[in-house]
Amino acid sequence: MSNTVIPFGPQHPVLPEPLHLKLVMQDETVLEAIPAIGYVHRGLEKLTETKEFTQNVFVVERICGICSFMHAQAYCQGIEELMNIQVPDRARYLRVIWAELHRIHSHLLWLGLLADAFGFESLFMQVWRNREKVMDIMEETAGSRVIISANTIGGTRRDISPEMLVKITVIVEEIREDLKQVESVFFNDYTVKHRLVGVGVLTRDVAYELGAVGPMARASGIKTDHRTTGYAAYGELDFEPVVENDGDCYARTVVRLKEVYQSISLIKQAIAKIPAGETSVPVKGFPNGEVISRVEQPRGEVLYYMRGNGTKNLERLRVRTPTFANIPTLLKMLPGSQLADVPVLILTVDPCISCTER
Amino acid sequence: MIENVTDITKDQLLGEVQKMKYDGYRFVTATCIDNGDETLDVYYHFDKDYELKNFKLKLQRNEEISSISKIYLCSVLVENEMSELFGVKVSGMAIDYGGHMLLADDSPDNPMARNQIVIEQKGAK
Repeated sequence: MSNTVIPFGPQHPVLPEPLHLKLVMQDETVLEAIPAIGYVHRGLEKLTETKEFTQNVFVVERICGICSFMHAQAYCQGIEELMNIQVPDRARYLRVIWAELHRIHSHLLWLGLLADAFGFESLFMQVWRNREKVMDIMEETAGSRVIISANTIGGTRRDISPEMLVKITVIVEEIREDLKQVESVFFNDYTVKHRLVGVGVLTRDVAYELGAVGPMARASGIKTDHRTTGYAAYGELDFEPVVENDGDCYARTVVRLKEVYQSISLIKQAIAKIPAGETSVPVKGFPNGEVISRVEQPRGEVLYYMRGNGTKNLERLRVRTPTFANIPTLLKMLPGSQLADVPVLILTVDPCISCTER
Repeated sequence: MIENVTDITKDQLLGEVQKMKYDGYRFVTATCIDNGDETLDVYYHFDKDYELKNFKLKLQRNEEISSISKIYLCSVLVENEMSELFGVKVSGMAIDYGGHMLLADDSPDNPMARNQIVIEQKGAK
């Protein structure tokens, strides 16, 4: 039988953003898959060379709407290290709270999209109903729902009042209870398991060799989570990376769902421990030298390389986003899979193309 | 401020990268910087247990380097990116997008490179 080449994407119902795959098929089985990107490349790295280093906080936030806070966090932490700025303790805890709220809304967004992809509309709505509560917290604490611009070099631009911290505790607990009710559908429903278990298996060795990060790596048994290095206030909070060993679509779903609970726990711990005080310190001078800053985003580790030359502009800002690291796993996961499984399999990478193309 | 940086030459590149693989390092990414003086710096970043190890390669603009994708397949995206955005000549990439991974036919060549721009004013004497 001769091979057939099927173009998958760039516009596909399962993909919120444009990603193209050339699938070489024999009957219903994928023989080879070559990913292609480049549909939304914006040249943001180049743009940062023309903006002042303080303005770049707002540029990097716009790399991605889902993890915008953590892009700004990685950038600010890098510049702070370069300029030897000591961030106030309260700001370190506020960064944890907002970052984990972003992780929750990112994972809930993904869980909803997954439910929609395998045709479970009511599950999709239940999950996104809870995501809305997180978006409302963003609006109430920062004035906007997606790009909240709470980070600044030297701390945070905003504080959260004690009353609001109490309210956040109540809301995330509500989300936890709601998710407990839909959890069994993700974990135990026959149809859901049939679509996910044993599909798109990525073994531990292959995941490591291909440089997989975040839930992709953790679902394949790699115990890696950059938060364990203790940046911001993570070093003062109690948590362990969520790890599964099967490496299939189901394991990746389990990891992300459990990480929502983990984020809720981290938020509650941070609120319980947050000290009073200032939220930022003034910044004097210009960055000079090179630095690498890494942060654990919802999709995995992001790496920022920055080179300053003692002026208000950076010479170079380079961003390696987690999806950029996870796309090569498709080269190994897709061959051998069935065409009907391809959409769900691609979705479990949680591809963020605006991040990837910057 | 970047720790664990080792300067290497392009002849040492594949040997050092192979050693990283043998020692169990994960390839994180590569970073290309145009120094604005017809030279480029290329950093290769590797990670093991949250410790980064970096190799720094200094190149002339038209120098060619070998792809490391035969050792780390996952480097194909970043090598294609460096090739398109900075004009780094990378030979032997496992997947070569031929300059069209990110750029379209009518895109400017190597948009991240610090090319000298000459502005000519119409009618100037």
